[in-house]
Amino acid sequence: MTPAPASRPSCSYCHLPLPRSWRKTGDDLCDEPVYCCVGCRIAAAVTSAEGEEGAARWMIARLGFGLFFTMNVMVFSMALWSRDLYGQDTHALTDSLSDLFRYLALLFAVPVLFLLGGPIFSSAWQALRRGNWTTDVLIVAGVVAAYVYSAVSVISGEGHVYFEVGCMVLVLVTVGRWLEASGKLRTNNALDSLEQLLPDTLRRVTGVEHRIVPRESIRRGDRVRILAGERFAIDGHIVAGQGDVDEQLLSGESLPIGKGPGDTVYSGTLNLDGDLTVRVTAAAGEETVSRFVQLVKEAREQQSGYQNLADRITRWFVPATWLVALTTVWYHTQYSGIEAGILAGLSVVLIACPCALGLATPMAVWAALGRAATAQVLFRSGTVLERLAEIRALRFDKTGTLTTGFAVVKHFEHDENTEPQMVLARAAGLATASNHPLSQAIVRNVADVTRPVQPRDAIHVAGRGVSAGVDAASDRIYLGSVPWMQESLQAVGDRLTAYLDMALKDGEPVACIGWGGQVRGVFVFHEQLRPHARTAIARCRQMGIDVSVLTGDHRSRADKIAAALDVDVCASQSPKDKVKALGEAQRRIGPTAMVGDGINDAPALAASDVGIAMGCGADLSRDAAGVCLLSDDLLRLPWTILLARKTVRVIRQNLCWAFAYNTIGIGLAACGKLNPILAALAMAISSLLVVTNSMRLAQYPQPANDAVCETSFDSFVPPPKPDVIYTSDDPAPFVEVVRS
Amino acid sequence: MIELPLIFVSGILGSSHCLGMCGPLALALGSNGQLMSRNLVRQLVYSLGRIFTYGFAGAAAGFFGLWLQHFSPLVNVQAGLAIACGLLLVVLGLVTAGVIPWRPTAVGHFPCAAAGWLKTLLTAPSLPQVFLAGVFTGFIPCGLVYAFVALAASTGNVFNGALTMIAFGLGTVPLMVLAGCGGSLLGIAARTRILRIAAWCVVIAGTVSIARGVGFLELTGAGTAACPFCR
Repeated sequence: MTPAPASRPSCSYCHLPLPRSWRKTGDDLCDEPVYCCVGCRIAAAVTSAEGEEGAARWMIARLGFGLFFTMNVMVFSMALWSRDLYGQDTHALTDSLSDLFRYLALLFAVPVLFLLGGPIFSSAWQALRRGNWTTDVLIVAGVVAAYVYSAVSVISGEGHVYFEVGCMVLVLVTVGRWLEASGKLRTNNALDSLEQLLPDTLRRVTGVEHRIVPRESIRRGDRVRILAGERFAIDGHIVAGQGDVDEQLLSGESLPIGKGPGDTVYSGTLNLDGDLTVRVTAAAGEETVSRFVQLVKEAREQQSGYQNLADRITRWFVPATWLVALTTVWYHTQYSGIEAGILAGLSVVLIACPCALGLATPMAVWAALGRAATAQVLFRSGTVLERLAEIRALRFDKTGTLTTGFAVVKHFEHDENTEPQMVLARAAGLATASNHPLSQAIVRNVADVTRPVQPRDAIHVAGRGVSAGVDAASDRIYLGSVPWMQESLQAVGDRLTAYLDMALKDGEPVACIGWGGQVRGVFVFHEQLRPHARTAIARCRQMGIDVSVLTGDHRSRADKIAAALDVDVCASQSPKDKVKALGEAQRRIGPTAMVGDGINDAPALAASDVGIAMGCGADLSRDAAGVCLLSDDLLRLPWTILLARKTVRVIRQNLCWAFAYNTIGIGLAACGKLNPILAALAMAISSLLVVTNSMRLAQYPQPANDAVCETSFDSFVPPPKPDVIYTSDDPAPFVEVVRS
Repeated sequence: MIELPLIFVSGILGSSHCLGMCGPLALALGSNGQLMSRNLVRQLVYSLGRIFTYGFAGAAAGFFGLWLQHFSPLVNVQAGLAIACGLLLVVLGLVTAGVIPWRPTAVGHFPCAAAGWLKTLLTAPSLPQVFLAGVFTGFIPCGLVYAFVALAASTGNVFNGALTMIAFGLGTVPLMVLAGCGGSLLGIAARTRILRIAAWCVVIAGTVSIARGVGFLELTGAGTAACPFCR
């Protein structure tokens, strides 16, 4: 796995990217853990409970005593208020007792400054050394100023005391940030739960000996034994044993798949009933689930559009806060005295904390990426997610996307002058050089009844077919579409012409093989539409998206699909035409997404605004697509778009809230209308609101699978058994075409 | 404050209601200390922490009541709070006694977010940390505590509010210490019986509070509490 390209440094606890620093960071700071806020620092210390219980206990005790002393300060303050504000003196609260309470408040408040102010200050100091200006420094400064003022009041015996303000601000900032950090960590839950599914130990087989070893010590090439009911922790090939495997975690397919020797098994899938010995091809950390999680993590680190917006604002926001705070202090000091100045300034820096703004986008994107991952949908970046929400048009590739990737050879017809065995052998040979679903159908259906030739210098022309030589003496062979035959000047004989016309009229996919200027054989395939294709397209259309299908198929076949799916189909599209059609849609309608299998339509996927690859399964390397649907369930497609839209809605809500809250709050605070305690409370609640709002995405409901299987297209479903039945004792492994 | 003894008794009897949630915490506290005397000290320190938080909550509630009175001098806040708290207590008591059918969903389900670090404190060897565990336990949501906090608010005075809650807290000490030290000194049958009595005791406390509130309503402007039993 290649590491992510120079990503921004991230917080050691919640892994959120750190704010962009104002100066180049020195390498000298790289070895110490870096936290994005004091909440993460505290949470990291507290949750290291398993490792260093002493340190965790110390941090909890520190917070606890901070809270305890604050509660004392509050009681004394309330007693003082009872007298000062409401003139209540029922308990003979004489002046001397009142003085005693003021001294006690001072006594209990000082430790709070060190217990709770300490972590905030060291966090601010670390940020400052990294070149990040934060408002934490100002918060500590404001609190210290309130303390000093109150201490002077106590000692001089006149004036108000504001110890409760200082203490409550410290408590609320600390607890708020801590809760926020715990909330942030919850966005990782989806990914962590994926990784935690993998068993920690494996049974390594060496000779006759079985030993249980940790997953990490397994190497490529090792043999491991997986018993029934166990989950694979590695990728590998089965070398012995047979059994059903549940691949739901990777493919979303709920039906188990029978596997035997030679078959590939993937990590994260479940061995239902076999006793399997597996040769490891990808060890821990490199197997499918780890790669998947790694890809999602990389996607999270990519900056998205909204994130850039928030970052740009934050960069101006913090210096602006300094300015507003200092102006506020100066103004109120000038007109209402130093205490009003301190309190108003403290309120400004508290309410102006850009936490909510900084969290607004990454929290939502992370929660959505994690949620998508658990539904077997992989986004390459948050930007893709944002763009998917904006798309107005959707273009489908047909083969392998709307149809299952498994076509069946229904008929084969050959030229009267050519030996059929030879045609089949050459077709099978060339087909191995291509991974087009129709080629694979030829390989599957023909290769075992003939001996495929060895193709040389195979050339693959996207959307057309494949050509290759067999030996130096003979001509090049062409296997592919009818236009491909015309372009390579292979003429169709009378017998095949009639047959071809009939097949085309029926709207079935066909492939031809020819050499020496003559088409030698024609394959007619049966292709099955994916279940739910019609529903998925209908749902996309309900969402206001313009949907059509781009296919290389001829007109008659396209019409048949159009009727079956109730959708526009553009026929005879070469890969270039598809790119052109996409450009047209982008101009005419707006942002356009292309849905394909990610293999044969890479140029179109790359040309679209969002490329979506269907049915990636364990093949996560389809880079042309910004979105990979591991499952081949088409209903995940509208679900994914809805999730993207919802995510962008949540991002906008978060940003709006953060802006509105900050603007109104700073206004109130600068006018001296906001108590610092309320400001600290508002700050904590604001960040928590953003985190909670984003976490709604993590609970986004599972894609509904309630759609009934479409049956309107009877010739597509269910697949009939092929008319061509090949048996080993039948030397001519095909029947003449029999059509009524 | 003539009703402090009554609150204390309500605390004693009502605390069997709390054993469901706080009992396991008290047990976790004792699991480390092998010696009975050492365990007893830990239990008492733990309860002290709880009482501290209750006292703080009572003081805050008392101040809140005072603030409310000032905020809305037209409404008789003291009477309103006393009646509200009384109703809450009566309902709680009747639910516990099984008169009002209500299946609690959250009771007995320890808030998991706090479980990790609270356990760290509970099992800590040093007494200050046990005290902190008690302080935090005091914040655990509990209907009975809330009812008494409302009662404290109705006093409309920081000191009386704190005293109310401290009396309640002291009342909860015996059973909690017993549960922490003895584990299962009480059989299930005995516990059920005590739970019944406790429930009715809570109902009585609620009724007294309501009566007090109604008394306030009648004697508008009267500064001192008018307990119907001590007139």
